[in-house]
Amino acid sequence: MNRLLVSVVVAALALAAPLARAETVTIQWQTANLTEPQFEPVWKAMIAAFEAANPDIHVEPVLVARKDDWTKFVTSAQARRAPCVVQTDLATAAFNGYLLPLDALWNAEPDSLRATYSPDIMRAMHWKGQLYGIPIWGGVFAEIYNRDMLAAAGLDPTHLPATAADYVDWLRRLTKPGQWGTAVLGGPTDTTTRLLLTWIWANGGEAFNADMTKATFAADPKSLEAIKAYLGLAAQGLAAPSPNTTNYLEQTVLFAQGRIATMRSAYWAIAKVLGDNPGLAGKLVVGPVPGNGATLATLSSASIAASCKYPSQAWAFIKFQAGKHWAVERARVSNWMPLRNDMADDPDIAKDPQLQRFLEIGRTARSYPLPHPAWADIAGTDIVKAVQRALLDPARTEQIFRELDAMLTRKLNDL
Amino acid sequence: MPARAPWAQPGLRRERWHGLLFLAIPLLYLAGVVLLPLIQAVYSSTLRIRGMNASFVGLGNYARVLGSEVFWTSMGVSVRFTIACVALHIVLGFGLALLLESAGRARTALRLILMTPWMVAPAIAATIWLWLFEPHFGVLNYLLGLVGLSQGGQSWLGEPGTAFGAAVLVDVWRGTPFVMLLLSAGLQTVPRDQYEAAMLDGANALQQFRHVTLPNVAYIVAVAATLDTINTVRQFDIVAVLTGGGPAGATEVLPVLLYNTGFRANDLGGAAAIGVLLLVVVLALVVLHVSITGLDRTRA
Repeated sequence: MNRLLVSVVVAALALAAPLARAETVTIQWQTANLTEPQFEPVWKAMIAAFEAANPDIHVEPVLVARKDDWTKFVTSAQARRAPCVVQTDLATAAFNGYLLPLDALWNAEPDSLRATYSPDIMRAMHWKGQLYGIPIWGGVFAEIYNRDMLAAAGLDPTHLPATAADYVDWLRRLTKPGQWGTAVLGGPTDTTTRLLLTWIWANGGEAFNADMTKATFAADPKSLEAIKAYLGLAAQGLAAPSPNTTNYLEQTVLFAQGRIATMRSAYWAIAKVLGDNPGLAGKLVVGPVPGNGATLATLSSASIAASCKYPSQAWAFIKFQAGKHWAVERARVSNWMPLRNDMADDPDIAKDPQLQRFLEIGRTARSYPLPHPAWADIAGTDIVKAVQRALLDPARTEQIFRELDAMLTRKLNDL
Repeated sequence: MPARAPWAQPGLRRERWHGLLFLAIPLLYLAGVVLLPLIQAVYSSTLRIRGMNASFVGLGNYARVLGSEVFWTSMGVSVRFTIACVALHIVLGFGLALLLESAGRARTALRLILMTPWMVAPAIAATIWLWLFEPHFGVLNYLLGLVGLSQGGQSWLGEPGTAFGAAVLVDVWRGTPFVMLLLSAGLQTVPRDQYEAAMLDGANALQQFRHVTLPNVAYIVAVAATLDTINTVRQFDIVAVLTGGGPAGATEVLPVLLYNTGFRANDLGGAAAIGVLLLVVVLALVVLHVSITGLDRTRA
């Protein structure tokens, strides 16, 4: 009898153990930004706070280098084991069937939450009429100057260059042995494309037609003019050498070391530069991209993978990240701009003049990435290759971008 | 009396069944990790894959890949890269193997030192070199600057010629020890009495090398060269980390093109087709290798 009783108790415990374990679910969270030092304290605190508020959900961060981020996501998505919460190129991932439409979850939320973002931003979160992402943070591209280097060159930081011609003139005065005006980016990431687009847009040009069925890098005269002006900075010796291996990392280090006097980047680059060289605190001047005021604003969103087994838990974590408190923390610590429209009066946001300057410049910004399912490839490979070829052979710039137009037009229509 | 099952029968027949049983385990393993993925890759190469959606296109991917300029440029880069690397591996590996032969007591320590690059994982080695080549903060430009050979900012990985040379240099640095090891083993099989006879005949060191060493190790050199070619034509890690195939495709060897096609261009079907074509190249080299080793066996 005793033996029977013991057996029953053991069997009951064996059955109960998995049930008890099943009460806590683990969701994985993948974004390339988890490896950035300026974001680390925020995401660690955010996960801890979320788990404290939701003891039945465990968030497991997936740390991956930026250049491997897409590969890892695609591989796991193909195996139907992608991390539940991801930050990725929304149009490309949605087109490929890697993301879960969020309309049902979004529509079940109260109006107050749904009114948090502007219609423009929400439009960028859709693909083919369905919602695939919730806006988390953004970055407006502006021109960042080193005040001391401007002063040394006799330039007035209160009257920043308004046109591309003025800007090039400034670069001439800021260039001397061992120091250059700025950096031209031609390295193998889509940051190269981002900078090129700021030059094209600020000159009134267009790289694509309105419905993205045709590339117009060379076909649009204003676009071609901007490309030649920008890439020509390298040939003129006004930009740091080795543009074909220069990306965000090299650009910010060059700026932090005082080797270049200006850099075109987003608000987050300031946190990176001050991390590299705290002595630059208070010595940075932010101005609009010289030209017609148009610039680029990246929109980063959180999505749920199509293979996610716990979409409601993933949704809870996305809402938590998108909350006002964490938007402020990301802005305060990581220099990532908030996208919510209820934050202008927040004391932490209002008291930061640099962030206010970026927000002001961002009023005329155009959203990035561009909404096409091949965008990740076009921005990270095709445009970069054309930039590199033009930097190596400046005399053929027009021909190279005409070839790019033809190739991209085929690709844009080959879905 | 009912007939016993073959594995229950006594003697040789049962042993044969046991042998087959033991063979079945590695065969099943190989089928799982080699054959099935291979079949899947060949099948994928006949599909147009867009994320989770796929449609059958027959040989369409092969036609597209073989008709693209990018593929043939990449094939050209692969051929030049492989020839340059293998030639340098063999020449330097042979030189180092001869050095080891004459090193006397220091041989073991020297071998250990020379083998060090081969012990480093290729991706880690490439990352170290990436920073050595860095134009603004790299050690190479710094050292060249100290002796007045550089004004700084020399873009080793940003110009097609120097980027290709840099990729070859790193591969040679890492791949030479393997060839050295093979040739060193080959040199130890050369009969000493042949050297003694050559010396008695008045042959100098160069003549000994030409008439004794080379004929004796020609076979192992051929084996090393084919094995090294098979390894080098599949080289991915070093180029991927160092240049990613750039600038402007100047170092995009076939494995890197495969990766870029699959994971950057999201064209998994096209990437599978490139993979199958690469496999054909490697198989041709394997056939060459087997025929060389087979010839020697026949000769023996």
